[in-house]
Amino acid sequence: MAPNHSNENGSIGSSLHGVTAREQIFCFSVEDGPSSQAIRSDDPTAKFALPVDSEHRAKVFKPLSFAKPHMRAFHLGWISFFTCFISTFAAAPLVPVIRDNLDLTKTDIGNAGVASVSGAIFSRLAMGAVCDLLGARYGTAFSLMLSAPAVFSMSFVADAGSYLAVRFMIGFCLATFVSCQYWTSVMFTGKIIGLVNGCAGGWGDMGGGVTQLLMPMVFHVIKLTGATPFSAWRFAFFIPGFLQIIMGILVLTLGQDLPDGNLSTLQKSGQVSKDKFSKVFWFAVKNYRTWILFVLYGFSMGVELTINNVISGYFYDRFNLTLHTAGIVAASFGMANFFARPFGGYASDVAARLFGMRGRLWTLWILQTVGALFCIWLGRASSLPIAILAMMLFSVGTQAACGALFGVAPFVSRRSLGLISGLTGAGGNFGSGVTQLLFFSSSRFSTAEGLSLMGVMAVVCTIPVAFIHFPQWGSMFLRPSQHEERSKEEHYYGGEWTEEEKSLGLHEGSIKFAENSRSERGRKAVLADIPTPETGSPAHV
Amino acid sequence: MCTLHLIKHKSQSKAYSSSSHKPFFHIQIQESMAIKKLLFASLLICSMIQSSHGATKERLFTDLEKGALEITATPSRTGEGVVLAAGIDKLSITWKVSSTATKEPEFKTIKVKLCYAPISQVDRPWRKTENELFKDKSCPHKISSFSYDPTVKTAQSFDYTLERDIPTGTYYVRAYAVDAKDHEVAFGQSTNADKTTNLFSVQAISGRHKSLDIASVCFSVFSVVALLVFFVNEKRKAKIEQSK
Repeated sequence: MAPNHSNENGSIGSSLHGVTAREQIFCFSVEDGPSSQAIRSDDPTAKFALPVDSEHRAKVFKPLSFAKPHMRAFHLGWISFFTCFISTFAAAPLVPVIRDNLDLTKTDIGNAGVASVSGAIFSRLAMGAVCDLLGARYGTAFSLMLSAPAVFSMSFVADAGSYLAVRFMIGFCLATFVSCQYWTSVMFTGKIIGLVNGCAGGWGDMGGGVTQLLMPMVFHVIKLTGATPFSAWRFAFFIPGFLQIIMGILVLTLGQDLPDGNLSTLQKSGQVSKDKFSKVFWFAVKNYRTWILFVLYGFSMGVELTINNVISGYFYDRFNLTLHTAGIVAASFGMANFFARPFGGYASDVAARLFGMRGRLWTLWILQTVGALFCIWLGRASSLPIAILAMMLFSVGTQAACGALFGVAPFVSRRSLGLISGLTGAGGNFGSGVTQLLFFSSSRFSTAEGLSLMGVMAVVCTIPVAFIHFPQWGSMFLRPSQHEERSKEEHYYGGEWTEEEKSLGLHEGSIKFAENSRSERGRKAVLADIPTPETGSPAHV
Repeated sequence: MCTLHLIKHKSQSKAYSSSSHKPFFHIQIQESMAIKKLLFASLLICSMIQSSHGATKERLFTDLEKGALEITATPSRTGEGVVLAAGIDKLSITWKVSSTATKEPEFKTIKVKLCYAPISQVDRPWRKTENELFKDKSCPHKISSFSYDPTVKTAQSFDYTLERDIPTGTYYVRAYAVDAKDHEVAFGQSTNADKTTNLFSVQAISGRHKSLDIASVCFSVFSVVALLVFFVNEKRKAKIEQSK
C-alpha cells in the first residue's frame, strides 16, 4: 500500500497525526505488499538497521533493539513520557507526610490534585505546534528540561498555595505524551503504528504506577541518612528532577527528529505547504464526534489520572497500611498499563477485523463500562483483598478503554487528525480535573464514596459512544447509510475540503486515507466493489 | 469477576481459528497469561496482607474507664497565643492513678500520647475520632510508654521535647492504661471531656534547609542553561551547513 503523503512533516494536520495512530488497521501484519518493495529506494535505506518504507519509516517494531534512529526514538520517547508521569504524580504517595508538613486540609489536597492535571490541558494543545516547528526532540526536551525547575522547587514550598502552584507547573510536562506519539509516528510506518503507539502510551502511563513505589522508597532511604520526614520528602523530589534532566540530555544527544536527520538540517527540503490552522480547527470543532471522544477519554484516562492521585492515600487511610505498602498497592494500578493499554488497542483492531467500526465502538463501550463498574465496586469494598481485586480489574478495564479509544479516533477526521488527537488528550486531563474537584476535594464525600460516585459518573458518561455514527460504517445501534453518496468513505473524508480546495488537489491525502479505511467495514470490506481512483500511484517514488 | 474476564479472552481466541496470522495468537496467549499471573500475584499479596492484619476489632473507646488517670501537661512556655516550636519546646507531664480507679489491678503499661484537638481535625478525615479503638486516628503521636509500678502511689512526672515530625496544630495529652493482653482498659487526658480546656498549639518545623534551597536553584539553572546551549549550538551548526 502506498504510504500516505499528507504525513509530510510541516503540514498542520500531520503534527499530531498518529497520536492515536491507527492509520492502517492491522497493527500486527507487516508483510510487504509488492508495491512497497518496488518503491523502496536502494542506497539510503541500506544504512538503516530496520527495513524501511519509501519515507524511511521503519516497517518493523523490535522493542528490544536500540538501533538508530527508529527504535532509539521509540525508547527515548516513551521513557521521557514515563519520567514525566513520575514527576507529575510524585507527590501523591507522599501526601500523608506533606499534609502534616504544610498543614493541608482535604480541600487543599484535592485542589492541588486538580491543578496537577490541569496544566497539561493547554500544554498538550501547544505541543503539536512546537513539534511542527522545532521537531520532536526539542518538543520533548523543552517539556522535560523546562519543567525540571518546577520539580526542584518543591524544596521551597511552605504552604497550601505554593504547593498547589508547584504541582500545577510540574503538570505541564505531561505534554510529552504528544511529542512522544508525534516522534513515533514519523519514525514508524502506518501499518504498525497502532501497536507502537499503544506500547509507547501504555508504557509511559506506567510511570504513574512506578512513582507510587519509587517515591516512598526514596523517602525512606533519605530518612535513614538522618533527615527529618519534613526535609526528606523535599529532597526526594530531586530524584524525578534528575531523571528529567538526564532524559532531556539523552534525547538531545542520542535522538534524531526524523529518519534522515534532524529537523534543522533538513528544514528547507521540499515540504508540503502547510494547511490553514483556522480550517483545521474549524473542522475539528464542528465534528460532534470530537466532543464525544473528549468526554469519553475524560472518563477513561481522566479516571486513571485521578486514581494516580488518590489511591495511595486511600489505601493508607482506609486500610491502615504503611506508606510503603500503600505505595505497592497503588503502583499495581499504574503498572497494569504495561499490557492493558496495548491490549485495548489490539482488541479494537480485532473487533474491527470482524465487525468493522461498529465492533470498535462496542469494544470501547464494553471496556470502559466494565472498568467503571469495577470502580464502583472498589469504593464499596471494605476488606483489603476485595479492594485490591476490584482495583486490578478496574485498572485493566479503564486502561484498555484508553487504548481502544485511540483505535476509533484516527477515523473521525483526516484533515484535523492531529488537533482531534490533541483535543482528546486534553479531554483526559479535563475529566481528571472535574472528577477530582467533584468527588475528592471536599469533606462532603469520603474517599470511598467518591470512588463509587466517580464510577457511576463514568458509566453515564460512556453512554454517548452510542451516538457516534459514521454514515459509511454505522454506529453501535444503527446500520451504515444505504444512500449511494454518503455510504462511501470518500464522501465523509472529502467533505472536509471545499470544492475550491478539491480542485487544487489538496484533498488527495484524505482520499488515500479513505481508501485505506475501507477495512473498517469489517468482513464486508472484501466485498466492497468501490473502484479506487486513478491517483493510485504515489507522487514521490 | 475473574471468570468473566477470562471468558472474554477465550471468546476472542476462538475468532482466530481460521486466521493465518500466527503472531496474534502467541501474543494473545502471552497477554492472557500475563493477566492470569497478575491476578494470582495480587490475590497472593492480598491474602498475605490480610493475615498480618491485627485482630483488634470492636473494642470501643466508650468502654474504657474515664478519668482513671489524672494527667496534666504543662508547656515550657505558657501564655496567651503562645505557639510551641516543635523540636525545641518541652512539655512537662505529670500523672498519677486516680483514687476512683476501679480497674487498677489490671494496669500493666501506661502509654502516653499526643492527641489532636477538634479544631485540628476539621476537614482532615485522616485525623478523625472514632469510637472503635483500632479505627481511631485522633492520637497518633507516641510520647512515652512505660510499665506501671503499682507500688508507687505518688504523682510522677517526666519531660518530653516535642518531636520534629509533629505537625502544626492544637493538641492535648492523653494516657492509656493497658493490660497484659495489650488492650486499653482505662484512660485520662489533660483536657476536659469536650476537649476545650488546657489545649496548646504547636508550630511544626518547616523542613526547609538552606542547602536544599541552594541545590535546587543550581540544578534548575543547569537544566535551563543546558537546554539553551544545545539549542543555540544546533542553530549555529545548521546555519554553517546552509552557508556551505
